[in-house]
Amino acid sequence: MKLKKMLIVGAALFAGVNAQAADTELEFWTMNLQPKFNTYFEQATAKFNETNPGLKAKWVDMNWDQIQPKLTASIAAGNPPALVNFNVPWVHEFAAQGLILPIDQYLGAAKAAYSTNAVKDVQVKGQMFAFPWYNSTQIIAYNKDIFAKAGIKAAPKTFAEFVAMGKQIKAKTGQAAFAPKMSDMVGFFYYAGLPVVTDGKAVFNSPKHIAFVQTFADLYKAGVMPKDVFKMAFEQEIAAYNSGKIAMMTTAAQGLKRTETDAKAIYDKTEVAPFPLDAGKLNLGSWMMDFVIPKGTKDPAAAAKLGIFLTNDEQQLAFSKATESTMPSTKKANLDPYFQSGAKSADVVDRARAVAAKSMDNARTLTLTPGTLPDETVMIKKLQEEIQSAVEGRKSVKDALNTAAAAWNEKLKK
Amino acid sequence: MKNSSSYTGIAYLFLAPALILMGIFTFWPVGYNAYLAFNDYSISDGVATWNNFAHFKYIYEEELFHQALKNSLLYLLIVPVIQVAALLVAKLVNNKLPGMTFFRAAFYIPVITAVSIAGVVWINVYKYDGILTWFLQMIHVIPQGSEGQVDWLGNPDIALYGVMLFTFWKGIGWFMVLYLAGLQAIPKEVEEAAILDGANVFQRFWKITVPMVKPTILLCTLMSTIAALKTFQEVIILTKGQADTYTSLFYVYDQAFRNYNFGRAAAAGLVVTFFCMILAAIQFRFLGEKK
Repeated sequence: MKLKKMLIVGAALFAGVNAQAADTELEFWTMNLQPKFNTYFEQATAKFNETNPGLKAKWVDMNWDQIQPKLTASIAAGNPPALVNFNVPWVHEFAAQGLILPIDQYLGAAKAAYSTNAVKDVQVKGQMFAFPWYNSTQIIAYNKDIFAKAGIKAAPKTFAEFVAMGKQIKAKTGQAAFAPKMSDMVGFFYYAGLPVVTDGKAVFNSPKHIAFVQTFADLYKAGVMPKDVFKMAFEQEIAAYNSGKIAMMTTAAQGLKRTETDAKAIYDKTEVAPFPLDAGKLNLGSWMMDFVIPKGTKDPAAAAKLGIFLTNDEQQLAFSKATESTMPSTKKANLDPYFQSGAKSADVVDRARAVAAKSMDNARTLTLTPGTLPDETVMIKKLQEEIQSAVEGRKSVKDALNTAAAAWNEKLKK
Repeated sequence: MKNSSSYTGIAYLFLAPALILMGIFTFWPVGYNAYLAFNDYSISDGVATWNNFAHFKYIYEEELFHQALKNSLLYLLIVPVIQVAALLVAKLVNNKLPGMTFFRAAFYIPVITAVSIAGVVWINVYKYDGILTWFLQMIHVIPQGSEGQVDWLGNPDIALYGVMLFTFWKGIGWFMVLYLAGLQAIPKEVEEAAILDGANVFQRFWKITVPMVKPTILLCTLMSTIAALKTFQEVIILTKGQADTYTSLFYVYDQAFRNYNFGRAAAAGLVVTFFCMILAAIQFRFLGEKK
């Protein structure tokens, strides 16, 4: 008798579970947002599920370098998630491969909400391939103590000043000044207003390019940048700044949040300034995040619903408030008083947010036009290797750029 | 009484669980990889089309792949070093002395530590102002001050050897345990007889220990050769392929997961397999039992 009862209860439970599973599950992946933003995503998914009966959003967070392999594998296996958090270069790569879906047909009026540059960032051949989400832009956070020791009174206004101040800091204090992201010279070229590929030919070995790269070689040689600057990415730069090894951190405002929690003593000596513009009139290090719909997802229309929801004015503003340091990519949200309210605040992160918000007009994610390079992985690697050799002084800049350009042109010819 | 064929049947029955798993997770992927190597594979619709050896022609001309293959072959330098060292360490920890288990455990700990975690620690060891530089400056092997600081994993002349040292540290315990098992299988009487005959330590090592663990040497050499050719994890964690440490499996990974060219990646993988097989054949020829 007892057994029968248990079976009945079991069957009922099973049926209940099954009934719930009948909802369309929309799994969406984000990168590196757990556990800090659990509350935001719990609230966001709950809100979406409530207003969209029959749909069930499910948040999965993973490390950024797992996303591509996992997504590629899941597309090949035929069960990709509904939405995936991408950066801009990935949108272009995957769109060129036909692995993500154009979203214009689902967007409708929602398209007008996004800012013009954000839309441009994720457009491939006139079609949008991603829902623009949070954005960031590079600012300078500097250690006031080190600046004072070097006799520097204000943050640099031009790139030339930035370079000169770096040299002055090294000369006067013996400390390294900054560690810009040397792993992305293509972005640096655009920032300086220098072309990379023109009419299907690599053109980064002109005298102007050589002079530009030579600047970095000189800085490296003088010890203005740390010896392992080529190995330094976001995390390492923050760590170096937090330990007082570099005078300036040239990174997105969210990096400062880490200084606040990890190195309070340095944080208290930190001041912020916009990163100066150069001939390209573009911000260095703007890095927009977005959501894409992978090809082969079960219900693209429902996925788009979730995409629009997660990137609408209200949600983007809420997310910015949760991060305190990222910018929304919708027009209205960016104008919210929240962003400028911190301009006079005593807290550096608030001021950083105000500084960054002001420079958002020049925010484009600096990346090579998609599909330009036939074997991007290998070609970018070649360029980076040559530039590293030149900057680290194993080769002349001219030789290095000529070698890289020749290697690119051979591949571009095919 | 059972006849031999029914025994065979039962034998296969016992083998079945392992065979099924290996079939799904080893043999089928290997076979499918070989098939992909001759095809253009499109991940978006899963269609593979025959391409007339195009991938092999491409990687034959690809400078980066040559460089990667060169690095992978250079990595083989670690095989003799790690084998000799592991055998010596095994011999040392095979003594019955108090506290020996501690040393055995200490040598084995790197083996069970995750590559990623150990890698992060070693990145800091190898940092230009890290422990290694500090230590060498302390004993005055390299110049003092920032002039003498070496970016161990950033200098293309030495970075690969730095990665090899990590592999050595990580792998020696594993081979030590295998050799330890081999050493303990040597009957005591043989060694005792040699002592009575007046053989010294070195003679006993070369004439008794080495010949008697020869099967283990073959096994370990083979395994470390394959592992050396397959080097990938260490590189992606320590250097990300910078500073001339790009290995052939790194190329395979890059082509598959960053360039999305699974066919080309499969072809490169097949070439690496081919090298593994040649080296295995050579080792069997020289270290295997003579018939």
